[in-house]
Amino acid sequence: MKTSIKRILLIIGVLVVIGGSIAYYMFNMPHRDVQATDADASITATALVNEYLSDYDAANAKYLDDDGESNVLVVSGTIADIKEDYQGDLVILLQGTDTKAGVSCTLLTEEKTDGLTRKIGDEINIKGVIRAGARYDEDLEMYESVILEKAAIVHPRENNKTNEL
Amino acid sequence: MKNNKALLPVLTLLFFVSAALTSPASKWISEKTHVHFFSHTSIEDIEANNYKALSTLDPATGEVVFSVPMQSFDFEKSLMQKHFNSKKFLNTKDYPKAKFKGKITNLASVNFAKDGTYEAMVEGDMTIKDITKKVSEKGSVTVKGEAISVKSKFPLTLADYGITFSDGKPSTNIAKTIEITIEADYKSE
Repeated sequence: MKTSIKRILLIIGVLVVIGGSIAYYMFNMPHRDVQATDADASITATALVNEYLSDYDAANAKYLDDDGESNVLVVSGTIADIKEDYQGDLVILLQGTDTKAGVSCTLLTEEKTDGLTRKIGDEINIKGVIRAGARYDEDLEMYESVILEKAAIVHPRENNKTNEL
Repeated sequence: MKNNKALLPVLTLLFFVSAALTSPASKWISEKTHVHFFSHTSIEDIEANNYKALSTLDPATGEVVFSVPMQSFDFEKSLMQKHFNSKKFLNTKDYPKAKFKGKITNLASVNFAKDGTYEAMVEGDMTIKDITKKVSEKGSVTVKGEAISVKSKFPLTLADYGITFSDGKPSTNIAKTIEITIEADYKSE
């Protein structure tokens, strides 16, 4: 009798430790490392923008995720602008001359030095997570670009596996 | 010489027409923005930052617009960020942008042509998850040379936008009314 009570207590104790560990891990789970994640697709800036401008809702359904862990994309295009955002991170706009909007790529803070070596007109590939799509906003009276964050410039020798969508 | 005199009114007219056509757009644009979300309860403080909002300000009419990409809110903890984006909370996949469209109501008190910091009253519509509510905020407008910056801090009641929690950790750990701070630096385009 005593042995069976001990066993039950032991099992309960083990379950509590396992449950507690899972809860602790979940609570402190690190953010997804976008650059270490395989890209979901490679696409040109123009194609991505046109996809959004032709059907905003369908593009959101395709690229955005319920929990915010949206598609990791490698976007290729021509640098149309280079700016800094409010916190000083570098924002590279990829946009073709014949498109109404572009892809605004905010580089990771540690990638800023690499970004500053580039200039307007350069053709580059940038990998990052998509946060929002392009569309014309009637209140702003202007086109909003696709937003890519946690981004880094892809160097030719890097291995970036992609899965076709 | 006579011909030159006859040309003068035409040239003057051309000058004003071309000046009108090439004058900068009346709206100022800000891509340098910061939206801060802060929730305080006795259990924990939760905060998030978003640097990807796009805003316009029209000094002539006082109209202010903010378009905020909701998935760009960065939380310290991954789990909090997932809760925030999930269908139970802000459902950012189906409602990827929040928007504020309002007007500075005391425009006469703000001199966009003179350096200084002015108190501004803003009234307008806040739209989150397709629910629009009237809001009234107090803020400041700072004019410095060729730059304009605005700042405002205001409370936001989550239930007003259909965001409620009946059970689980979010119901105890997230405040019913959160504090939003917005900052934007504008430049004339």
